Amino acid sequence: MTVIDADTRDQPMPPGRRPGALSRSSAAMRWLRAPLWLVLLVVGYLLPTLLGGSNRIFSTFVLIAIYAVMTYGLDLVLSYLGEVSLGHTLFWAAGGYVTALVAVKLGWGPGLALVASLVVTTALAFVLGVATIRTREFVFSLVTYGAAFIGLTIAANSALLGGSDGLVGIPVLTLPALGGEYAARTNADLWPVAFALLVLVIILIGRFRRSRLGATALMTQMNPDLAITLGVDIRRVRVLVFALSAPVTALAGWLYAYQRSYISPDLFSPFFLLFMLTAVILPGRRLLLGPLVGSAILTTQSELFSFGGNGDKMFLGGLLAVVLLLSPDGLVGVWRWIVRAIRGRRARGTGLGGRAGGATTSGADGGTGSSVPQGATASRQAGAGSGSTGAAAGGGKPRRGPGVGERVAGSMGVRRR
Amino acid sequence: MNVVPQLVNGVALGAGYALLAVGWTVLLSAARLVNFAHGQLYMLGAFVTWFAISSLGVPYLAAIPIAVVVVAVIGLVMQLLMTRLVLQQNIVSLMLVTLAFGYLIEGGAASIFGGNPEIIDSPFRGHNLTLGSARFTEQDVLILVAALVMYAGTFLVLTRTKVGRVVRGVAEDPKLAQLYGINAAKVYVGVFVFAAASAALAGAVIAPRSPILTSIGFQEVIITFLVVVLGGIGSIIGSLVVGLGLGIFVALFGAFASPAYSTAAAFAVLLVVLVLRPEGFKTR
Repeated sequence: MTVIDADTRDQPMPPGRRPGALSRSSAAMRWLRAPLWLVLLVVGYLLPTLLGGSNRIFSTFVLIAIYAVMTYGLDLVLSYLGEVSLGHTLFWAAGGYVTALVAVKLGWGPGLALVASLVVTTALAFVLGVATIRTREFVFSLVTYGAAFIGLTIAANSALLGGSDGLVGIPVLTLPALGGEYAARTNADLWPVAFALLVLVIILIGRFRRSRLGATALMTQMNPDLAITLGVDIRRVRVLVFALSAPVTALAGWLYAYQRSYISPDLFSPFFLLFMLTAVILPGRRLLLGPLVGSAILTTQSELFSFGGNGDKMFLGGLLAVVLLLSPDGLVGVWRWIVRAIRGRRARGTGLGGRAGGATTSGADGGTGSSVPQGATASRQAGAGSGSTGAAAGGGKPRRGPGVGERVAGSMGVRRR
Repeated sequence: MNVVPQLVNGVALGAGYALLAVGWTVLLSAARLVNFAHGQLYMLGAFVTWFAISSLGVPYLAAIPIAVVVVAVIGLVMQLLMTRLVLQQNIVSLMLVTLAFGYLIEGGAASIFGGNPEIIDSPFRGHNLTLGSARFTEQDVLILVAALVMYAGTFLVLTRTKVGRVVRGVAEDPKLAQLYGINAAKVYVGVFVFAAASAALAGAVIAPRSPILTSIGFQEVIITFLVVVLGGIGSIIGSLVVGLGLGIFVALFGAFASPAYSTAAAFAVLLVVLVLRPEGFKTR
């Protein structure tokens, strides 16, 4: 599993439990953090109004919030568990379909619809997680991809779910409010709801990053051998995180159903899958605000600067490929590279004594240059580790593979003849 | 209802599944690589064949090699771009990159070939043959022949020739193979291009059975997954057997239960197998 992220600042560790050596944020920074978040919150909320407040702007912002929430679900699995789920479109669509079904056919309100879609998707994810408990890496991805396709088949053919027409006539989102009801008739009305949902999800993800489960998930990704040695039940962690990720994505599906007022099988389209993956990978994995930034970039492009349907497909696919091929760490990786390059040049330019300057430069160069081989080593180690995990999962106890080939094969779930 | 026609139909369907999966199987067993754009390469093979016939006036049998060469070149370009990831055997990134390439190819194909369903005008489509109560077309025979030839050829090349020995050596231990003077990178390129070309062949041969759309890749790759995972991940004989078996299952399920849910049912079988036996059907 490749997570090429040497920077320890982003790792989910609580300040209290953080080893002193790794802590780089000073007390002043910690003091500044709360007001900074508050400013970000206020500016974020007012941004669509500041940008003119037209319906097009509001609909773009509502979609950014919805897509970001959708992406945060996948982010839990991709960034922290290190597995690639290709089945999150299933949870996204299931959230929307359950909402539409209970709202249109049973006349349930948004609150009950929310509960129903969360329960259904969590159960779905739990079943899928348990079924794939012994598969790893690409077999896991294959099965989740297949699950989404089966969801599409069922949605497109079942009379209950409206077949290829989908379910239409979802009522306006009305929430109980002070002095009556709050009915979200326009995108501008929906924005506070979408924004609140987004903030709640970000808080949830932030808590997850500091939680025991989050730390354990990261450990099973980075060093499965260590996790096993420390008595972590890797399978349990994987199922739990997977089951937690599904309702997050379903939340977005719930709001999307109300925003669009109809639901159709296009929720299963590969666009949403590619969107989620790109929105996590483009900014850089394991960043708290990464999926939000990614969703904002991609949604702004597709809503306001579209190249047409086919052009957007080529753009999204091409963008993901370019990021993975050129900078697997995403934009953060590019940023770090620039910072290191500038630092290296400055050190060389000022010439802090021949020896010291030389050392700094070579250190910086080593840093930039080694980011790729480091990643390679990390991935190889992780591959080796997960290989023995695969063996452990298969045979009950960790075995040592005889060679690199064996371990790589194990990490892919490939059995030798 | 008579079972025999469904069995014959299932064999034709299953031969198609097996043919579609042969490239993936070799890719996994010989190079331990994955290609999630496989379905889109299949789609591209079908559309290049269609384009050659309908716009360039090339006869069907000559259009097939054109499609194979065009898609093989695209496969070569993909592989050259991914060289670093391939040498690291970075399966996760490869999976994501090929998925992205697939989406790129789909968008590109839709803008070149348009979004309408098209029909590949193969001369073998119209000719009906009968075998007892079963009816099938010459196209079905062509699919079966192509599948059997591809599997026999691949099996013989991998087990009996020097090229096969080199490929198996790299699969066994890339580092050791390199010590013996084998260029692993070249082997990976060769295997990947073979897989791409075989997807194009599958597209050119199977797709005339039904109208084609540029969005079919998403669906076709699911069948490939089913065959490869149930076949024991990288087992050539396993893929052929599972491909044929899956075809018969889908035909029978479609005839006696529900055609719309046949793929879903096949997938349910996969889930059960994964729970009971994570390595697939293959036993040692």
